[in-house]
Amino acid sequence: MFSYYLRLAFKSLRRNPILSALMVAAIALGIGSSMTTITVNYLMSADPIPEKSDQLYYVQVDSWDPNNPYDDESNDPPNQLTWTDATNLMRAKQAPAQTAMAKSGGIIEPVNQDDKPFEASIRLAFNDFFSMFNVPFLYGNAWSDVADDERQQVIVLTRAINDKVFGGENSVGRSMVMAGKTFRVVGVMDNWQPTPKFYDVNNGAFDEVEEVYMPFYLKEELELPNWGNTNCWKSPEGEGFKAFLQSECINFQMWVELPTQADKADYLAFLDNYAQEQKALGRFPRPLNNRLSNVMEWMENQQVVADDARMMMWLSFMFLAVCLLNTIGLLLAKFTGKSAEIGLRRAVGASKGDLFAQHLVETGLIGVLGGLFGLGLALLGLEGIKSLYGNFVDNLASLDITLVIVGLLLALVSSIAAGLYPTWRACNIAPSSQLKSQ
Amino acid sequence: MLEIGPIFRALMRNKVGAVLIAIQIAITMTIIVNSVFMIVERNEKMQRQSGLDEANTFHISSVGFGEGFNPRSTVEADLAQLRALPGVVDAIQINALPISGGGWSMGLQTEPGAEHDGTGVAVYMVDEHGINALDVEVIAGENFAPSDIRWRASRSPTWPNKVILTKAMVEKLFPDSPWADAVGKTVYINDNDPMIISGIIDKLQAPWVGWDNVENAMLSPERMEFTATRYLIRTQPGQRDRLMPEVEEMLASSNKQRVIRGMRTVEEDRERSYRGDSAMIKILTTVMVILTIVTALGIVGLASFSVNRRRKQIGTRRALGASQGAILRYFMLENFLISSVGVVLGAGLTIGLNILLVNTFEMNPMNWYYIPIGMLVLWLVGQVAVYGPARRAAGIAPATATRTV
Amino acid sequence: MLVMNDIKKVFRTDLVETHALRDFNLQVDEGDFVAVTGPSGSGKTTFLNIAGLLETFEGGQYLLDGQDVSQLNDKARSQLRNEKIGFIFQSFNLIPDLDLFDNVDVPLRYRGFNAAERKRRIESALEMVGLANRMKHLPAQLSGGQQQRVAIARALAGEPRFLLADEPTGNLDTKMAHSVMELLKEINQAGTTIVMVTHDPSLARDAKRNIYVRDGKVSELHSVGQELPDAANA
Repeated sequence: MFSYYLRLAFKSLRRNPILSALMVAAIALGIGSSMTTITVNYLMSADPIPEKSDQLYYVQVDSWDPNNPYDDESNDPPNQLTWTDATNLMRAKQAPAQTAMAKSGGIIEPVNQDDKPFEASIRLAFNDFFSMFNVPFLYGNAWSDVADDERQQVIVLTRAINDKVFGGENSVGRSMVMAGKTFRVVGVMDNWQPTPKFYDVNNGAFDEVEEVYMPFYLKEELELPNWGNTNCWKSPEGEGFKAFLQSECINFQMWVELPTQADKADYLAFLDNYAQEQKALGRFPRPLNNRLSNVMEWMENQQVVADDARMMMWLSFMFLAVCLLNTIGLLLAKFTGKSAEIGLRRAVGASKGDLFAQHLVETGLIGVLGGLFGLGLALLGLEGIKSLYGNFVDNLASLDITLVIVGLLLALVSSIAAGLYPTWRACNIAPSSQLKSQ
Repeated sequence: MLEIGPIFRALMRNKVGAVLIAIQIAITMTIIVNSVFMIVERNEKMQRQSGLDEANTFHISSVGFGEGFNPRSTVEADLAQLRALPGVVDAIQINALPISGGGWSMGLQTEPGAEHDGTGVAVYMVDEHGINALDVEVIAGENFAPSDIRWRASRSPTWPNKVILTKAMVEKLFPDSPWADAVGKTVYINDNDPMIISGIIDKLQAPWVGWDNVENAMLSPERMEFTATRYLIRTQPGQRDRLMPEVEEMLASSNKQRVIRGMRTVEEDRERSYRGDSAMIKILTTVMVILTIVTALGIVGLASFSVNRRRKQIGTRRALGASQGAILRYFMLENFLISSVGVVLGAGLTIGLNILLVNTFEMNPMNWYYIPIGMLVLWLVGQVAVYGPARRAAGIAPATATRTV
Repeated sequence: MLVMNDIKKVFRTDLVETHALRDFNLQVDEGDFVAVTGPSGSGKTTFLNIAGLLETFEGGQYLLDGQDVSQLNDKARSQLRNEKIGFIFQSFNLIPDLDLFDNVDVPLRYRGFNAAERKRRIESALEMVGLANRMKHLPAQLSGGQQQRVAIARALAGEPRFLLADEPTGNLDTKMAHSVMELLKEINQAGTTIVMVTHDPSLARDAKRNIYVRDGKVSELHSVGQELPDAANA
């Protein structure tokens, strides 16, 4: 019967082409706008590392001002660490894997003398960074524990920088000058772009990953500049780089990998213990307020999904509602126009159920057509968003198969929901009233 | 007016179609009015002046590298060269750019001591050319003298003893006295370090356009001995685009121990900083237009349907003496009644959505007059949309009444 | 075949109650051809709708082929309509955007026949009404008489025992009306019971039996050629 109903549905659509086009267009517009905003929100709130997002924890300890909480409203601890705390926690090595990190930058002087020096961003990290975040390698691999401890001048490059400096060759073992120092390349990463860039969201949650990676302690050794957010509640005691590094200014992030809840509880206990020690040393003047947030909790806490994106999604759902109301009205008109046919079908033996099924197929067809056009509009909408917002949304404006299915289902479900009342009304027409000529 | 009664009773017998249109009008109004409000808000935000001579100002970064790089002599040489360039009004070294998105902020307070709260302020480190290069006006007190300017070492925690503040900042610090009286008063930075207010300028925005304290800015009389630094260059009108490549080339060739990068006009900064707002405005405008069309087409569709269904009835009325105008009026009035229900409902929903947006997204509450204007517009949309079908209804021949099928 | 005892049907609006049928009694035997006449508003059509299971009734008993139909649900009534009853209407009620083949196909679809069986029945039904060569035409391409023949083919394709016709010639000119009438008589001769509502006494004379309905009652009846017992005299 389904194929029969489908054939009837096509015929019925063709009977009133303008009305049908209006309905399909209404659904397509509603679906198109909803899918555009759903896509952006979905990608903004996506789990960037689903295989272990519940085992990676962002570390926060409250080192802030005795007179003012870091955040007046939420009473959250500071969103970054001081150099002192980052290095202390790293030395304690209380988690199975851990990395403190910071953003910096410097000038790369290419091997080829003809190429101009250029500035590149640096991520300072420990070697666990690569294993914790499942960073893929094209050549070589992460540096060793020794390299971390001995502050060796080793470097891992992104594929793009390796292409730029070494023409894409396997550069492992070769040297490269950056920030006035010579580094040995130990690894080249393959393409890698977590979205959101969860490991450092407060310096741009959807930015590109940094271009080169080097051991964390080189920050001190090479006096590398602070990039990204630096926040101080009191100024450094004394002049110069050392004093600044030892200050209460926060510019560092730290992640730990804790496979079990017991590990997490242990680590939290360790943090509390650490805070007590620091209190004894005259730091940490505020009440105990340490926190471990897994990846998704941290994304939520940092409000990675932009307000505008959420607001647009709400509006687009309301837009969809208007489009569906429109469709309900048009379907009512359409089905009322079919009452003679419905009466006849009832007379020759179609039950209400038969007719209900027939008209549901018809609305479903409208929904699927609307959904297909809607997905097309969503693609257009996403292109529009890209052109309006520029590069930073490139990673946020592409449909994947899940979204395509969601879009079609949304179209189908909403059109059938829109069709329920008109269908119900059509099927309850008294057949006898429609058979007599007027 | 006599007709309202029968029209209303006829509507009540066919509620669903009318209710659908009314709800559609209500939601459309909700979206449109809130969108217009957001557009106006964002537009106002985008219209704020940074204080700079935006059309004629650009900036460029210099990042030194290598062992032999001397920041101090580089800055001095660069500034001398830049200021001597024909077409340049003035040039300064500066640590951050207004409305560019990145910069420094500090807290200033009127009494010393960590226990007092500071007021956030954007810090611009400039020399005595700052006033001219930034195109700001000293409206009280005076500009820095060349002797006030000190060299700031990298990561120095200390501050000069003079400061120039924006009028907005002064008003925040001293809300109880006339702003001009603040000249000569002492404010404290870093809880305890005193700075004397030597001048007040009319307007200069902070680097962060979304910051609550965007009008709070201070000028600190310093040049920076940093390897990475920025220059802001103000040109004579119309000279900017000619000078930009020249300046880039001049700086790049004058010193090979550095990289020249990030040359941008202030207009580009503005475009980048407000890109989200301008995108939002465009999206909301598109949504409004499409939504209005969808709703109008819905009204046209249902009205046409209802006209077709009532052909015979309309013919009968005509046969009984109703004029074309009366038929036209009937449908216009019917739509007016439906729209009225819709816009009243819409007024409630509009306020509701606004409250929700205020609570969730820290938006401002809407001005009351948006509501009646929105109602009026939606009424009008309804009337325009129904006019076509109503005209067709009026054109139905009286003879239709006597025809069967 | 069809027995109605004391059938009552009332139409209610907020203000008025209309007794469309009151104590309606009728018996139609297998193979009969009954013409129902009566003035406008007498209840003829209501009777036909109830007989065809398109409407329910308030009181009395209706046995169709010996089965009491008053308690059946929609699905069972639809199935009975589909299997046992064929309808012919004054305005033909063909579906305008289906061709003749698909129009005749409509009742067969709900019967659940397979494609081959449907095809066979459609072709033979259209052949019987003389329109087998126009299967792919749309109703609008046919004359009124031809359209009514298609409607008859549609009614017959399911091989019903019982044919209900409501003014089947009302929209046709005399010549076409006559030929449709001839067709109905042939069908009756082949064994199908027919009940036909009409206001045209000349057509009614062609039926085997006439009943006259007034004020929702069978008030008078006589048969053509043969006297019947005074069954509905109450």
